[in-house]
Amino acid sequence: MWKDYSAGYIKHNRSAGATIIIAAFISALLLSLLCGEFYNLWKYEVERIELEEGGWQSRIVGELDEADIEAVRNFAHIKEAVVNEAETKGQETVLDLCFDHMGMVFEDTPRIAELVGIPPEDVTYNYPLMAMYLVRDSSDRAPRLLFPMFLFILVLASVSLIVIIHNSFAVSMNGRLHQFGIFASIGATPKQIRTCLLQEAAALCAVPVLAGNAFGILGSMVLIHLTNVLLGSDIPGRHRAVFGYHPIVLGVTLLATVLTVWISAWLPAWKLSRCTPLEAIKNTGELQLKRKKNYRMLTLLFGVEGELAGNALKAQRKALRTASLSLVLSFLAFTIMQSFFATSDISIRETYFERYQDVWDIMVTVPGAEVDSLQETEEIQSLPGVERAITYQKARAKRLISQGEMTEDMKSFGGFSHAAGSEVVQTEKGWVVNAPVVILDDTSFLAYCDELGIVPGLDGAVILNQIRDVTNPDFRHPDYMPYVKETGTSVLLQRGNEEMAAEIPVLAYTDKEPALREEYATLDYYELVHFLPASLWSKIKGQIGGAEEETLICVLGKGQVTGEELSSLQGEIEGRLSGAYTVESENRIQERELNERQINGMKTVFGGLCLLLALIGIGNVFSNTLGFMRQRRREFARYLSVGVTPEGLRKMFCIEALVLAGRPVLITLPLAVLAVWGMLKMSYLGVREFLAEAPLVSVGIFMLGILGSVALAYYLGWRNVKRMDLAEVLRDDTMM
Amino acid sequence: MDILKCEGVRKVYGSGDNEVIALDGIELTVGKGEFVAVVGASGSGKSTLLHILGSVDKPTEGRVTIDGTDLSKLNQTQAAIFRRRKVGLVYQFYNLIPTLTVRKNILMPLALDKKKPSQEYFEEVVQTLGISDRLEALPNQLSGGQQQRAAIARALIYRPALLLADEPTGNLDQKNSREIMDMLKLSNLKLKQTVIVITHDEKAALEADRILTIEDGRIISDEWRR
Ligand SMILES: Nc1ncnc2c1ncn2[C@@H]1O[C@H](COP(=O)(O)OP(=O)(O)OP(=O)(O)O)[C@@H](O)[C@H]1O
Ligand SMILES: [Mg+2]
Repeated sequence: MWKDYSAGYIKHNRSAGATIIIAAFISALLLSLLCGEFYNLWKYEVERIELEEGGWQSRIVGELDEADIEAVRNFAHIKEAVVNEAETKGQETVLDLCFDHMGMVFEDTPRIAELVGIPPEDVTYNYPLMAMYLVRDSSDRAPRLLFPMFLFILVLASVSLIVIIHNSFAVSMNGRLHQFGIFASIGATPKQIRTCLLQEAAALCAVPVLAGNAFGILGSMVLIHLTNVLLGSDIPGRHRAVFGYHPIVLGVTLLATVLTVWISAWLPAWKLSRCTPLEAIKNTGELQLKRKKNYRMLTLLFGVEGELAGNALKAQRKALRTASLSLVLSFLAFTIMQSFFATSDISIRETYFERYQDVWDIMVTVPGAEVDSLQETEEIQSLPGVERAITYQKARAKRLISQGEMTEDMKSFGGFSHAAGSEVVQTEKGWVVNAPVVILDDTSFLAYCDELGIVPGLDGAVILNQIRDVTNPDFRHPDYMPYVKETGTSVLLQRGNEEMAAEIPVLAYTDKEPALREEYATLDYYELVHFLPASLWSKIKGQIGGAEEETLICVLGKGQVTGEELSSLQGEIEGRLSGAYTVESENRIQERELNERQINGMKTVFGGLCLLLALIGIGNVFSNTLGFMRQRRREFARYLSVGVTPEGLRKMFCIEALVLAGRPVLITLPLAVLAVWGMLKMSYLGVREFLAEAPLVSVGIFMLGILGSVALAYYLGWRNVKRMDLAEVLRDDTMM
Repeated sequence: MDILKCEGVRKVYGSGDNEVIALDGIELTVGKGEFVAVVGASGSGKSTLLHILGSVDKPTEGRVTIDGTDLSKLNQTQAAIFRRRKVGLVYQFYNLIPTLTVRKNILMPLALDKKKPSQEYFEEVVQTLGISDRLEALPNQLSGGQQQRAAIARALIYRPALLLADEPTGNLDQKNSREIMDMLKLSNLKLKQTVIVITHDEKAALEADRILTIEDGRIISDEWRR
């Protein structure tokens, strides 16, 4: 019997059935596409991190023997503890740890380090990897917004898709409350009605949901392929994205769609069970006012049509709430996404390309070379196209800062009281801080002395004597101040064994660093950086060691160089070195092009997603508007029959469309402004800097898109109403 | 033997300024096999009373007992099954399912119970009501009178203890009205059906055994004619 009823209903209400089928298909498709795409983006990011940083979760470095390693391996919840041969240098062993659960990493690693007697500063965490699993630690200062951003957008999109399915159901169900009321009045139990609705939903949606999911997976496969093509998988430094799909993703998508369909079908049954059969019978699918309400504004502005429109809007409040919500959501997501790109764009440019504009054109990495013995330095410096070439090597050391050495400025913001254990260790005599050593070749060091305006010499160091006000979290606009009081000598301590020390003269204290593509004191604010000439380093390296295994050459070309000139210079330099070493080099112009290409690729992909979101929102407007147009035929017929002119009806339509489209825009704008403000606050960008690049045009186009699509939906509705046969609509009292 | 008993039934719509007292302390008993007509001015509460008796609406106060079942004690499922088996409701507007044929509409209460109709009884009902040649049509292909007959057939198909009809002739012409009333009368006599019918038609009311007059939610006269 229910089968007859459902079949009959579907047959006689093709458009309602079709709306549901299409909505279910599209939503399943988009949801599965989105989930698949996001899963793959996430997977790609994880793979990239694992490739670049390694798959370890935390790492301890120090002198470890077999027994120590065995002890670590036996520690609870340790999945893996592997000695990293590649990173291990000298006597210090690098032990990579993986835990059973990521949540334990930040808790257990310090305990393990303590167990095997490793100081906390020799523990490192794979923060980027952990962030991809939403595991964060408070000592990690980088924002790492990518994954939360993913999730946020995914949730937004899912919610609006779910709203679409739900809506298309609700519209057709509302009209049938009357029929179910009749069923109830002749003795159908709530359970019978529920079963009927669920069966019907299953019959209508099973195929589209499955097909939608399948096509979604297919679509994300194609998208990944496109991404590979767009971003170019041949670019060095970018690994190829391989399409992957996890059963969990399929499970989540299917669950979300099935649950939505189920809830959408179940809801009318629930509604029905909450009212008496009589109330259900009286529900004709027409929207009715619960209470009388006056729309003075609209009446004043537009006369009686305004009042009618106001009442209609009020009566449709529920249906419109979902439309408004989905519009607000998609508009918001769009605006936020655009602003996010604008800010990150500005951020990359400011911190990277513009900042190093006059610092480097070519960076060469020479593994295994030592700065004080690299013969080719002078040769490179005298190449015709080279303005400046600085050969340098980095080393890690420690330095003690006593109470008396701290400047008053430094003390004023609390001295070392804000420092973490991995940065500063307090001892009886003072605080032991990290002292990165940057060793420049002698020629460059003398040039650097000239730049600083001090007497050039190769027997001492220059100290970068500045510390930022650590209480000011604005990393984009730090306040610098002198760190230590100036004295004639500085004592560098060996890292890991502070008994070993080397006392060196200090030529100058400065706040001006040499022109290198390096950043100092960004992660550890308490670093005290020493610049040393190579010849001095030769004398003391036996005492403190700690040098990195590679030497770098930072080359700046003469004048305005073109990409081609730079490439040939790069080839020349590599040629000089390739005899003795295997070198790697980067070139600023190429790098910039690569970066731009990547960002453009990202923008295309994300822009596509934005468009998708927009389509979802607009699709919702259509399903809603066209849906209630169908519902309201009787209402319009009645207006016409009492003498409202078609002109008047059209005016009413225009007013409704205006209010419907205007409201989400008015709601979204302040929210979007708030969201952008928060983003600026988080990344410490100024409002003016942002406004210059603000995505005003695209947001404006989106807004017009919303207005336009609502107008179009109403126009189509209007065409239907115009064509309607008045007599038939009024006669059709099987719907009473 | 009483088949229906109302004790202090009150129905109030809305609240505060909008409060409307539709029924105000109805006391009523109806015996098995009676044919009762309910008359009264528009807005006096007739339909409200009938809906409450048919358990499609709930009284604000008071108790209704039908065939030994206290309606207020039923949960939703029990109430639905009770409606299915014990009462047949006929409305002024026919309330047929527009997408099902007349035959399926009539057989609906049985189908809800997964019961096969007795072919004989079905034939008897549709014959009596004169719709046997329109069984495969859809409701909107019937005239108003035919739709009302189909609705009555649906109400009778389960042989309910109580047949309730709210202005079943309200939308029909004299000839059709007369025929419908005759049919109700016939089912009352032939099937020993208890019938309560609301009507504005005084002539029709005179067919009844008993006439109840309602005014402002109260029964103001209860007149036995036989
Ligand atoms: N849903 C409702 N909300 C508020 N008041 C209602 C509602 N339904 C009925 N009423 C009020 O209850 C009273 C009784 O209504 P009812 O429909 O029972 O009258 P009636 O006697 O059947 O009238 P008629 O002969 O016109 O059908 C009326 O005053 C009506 O205004
Ligand atoms: Mg009435």
